[in-house]
Amino acid sequence: MMEGSISNRIRILRFHNGEMSQAELGQRIGVTRQTIAAIEAGKYSPSLEAAFRIAEVFNLPLEEVFQWDSKATRV
Amino acid sequence: MPYREKTAWLSLIAMVVTFGPYFTIVAMRSVPGELPNLRQLGLFAVAAIAQMLILGIGHLYLRRGSAQDARTPPDERDRAITSRSISSAYYVLIFGMILVGCVMPFNSSGWSIINAALVMIVAAEVVHYGVVVLSYRRQA
Repeated sequence: MMEGSISNRIRILRFHNGEMSQAELGQRIGVTRQTIAAIEAGKYSPSLEAAFRIAEVFNLPLEEVFQWDSKATRV
Repeated sequence: MPYREKTAWLSLIAMVVTFGPYFTIVAMRSVPGELPNLRQLGLFAVAAIAQMLILGIGHLYLRRGSAQDARTPPDERDRAITSRSISSAYYVLIFGMILVGCVMPFNSSGWSIINAALVMIVAAEVVHYGVVVLSYRRQA
């Protein structure tokens, strides 16, 4: 099986969008603050729909929010 | 800590502090197999009522502490964790039911079968809530 992990820039994007809180982002895409925290920390990979919703909030294409690193392995 | 993790801890603790002593007492004394055995039934009733009380009071306390979180519907991560925990518990339950329903009737009877069924149900519930807690802890 191919190894890899999903990384993201959500924390920095939140900062650049008026220091948006995790709770506010969660509310806007319909998940809890804890789920946003888990996504940011790379401990939970969101569904494709949630990933698109997050990208939509920041008005960016998906690949500018989430990146796939095929060499990295998830801890 | 997410509200759903708190309720999983509550259910896990309620299960351990009520059915833990119940099964310890059952294991230490030889229980007459014949039914109905009201003494044994009474012991089970005490464990079940104690569990209900702990869960009822615990849920009320948790709801008062985080009313907003309690009202929030489960999101995709909550649903994924629930699904994983139920799948794990299912294997324990199905193994237990095969043992209790298909094997034990040939060599046991009465309360031995009832208590074995209870052990397997409690084990499945412990696995269920244990997987929920572990999943939330790993992703915290």
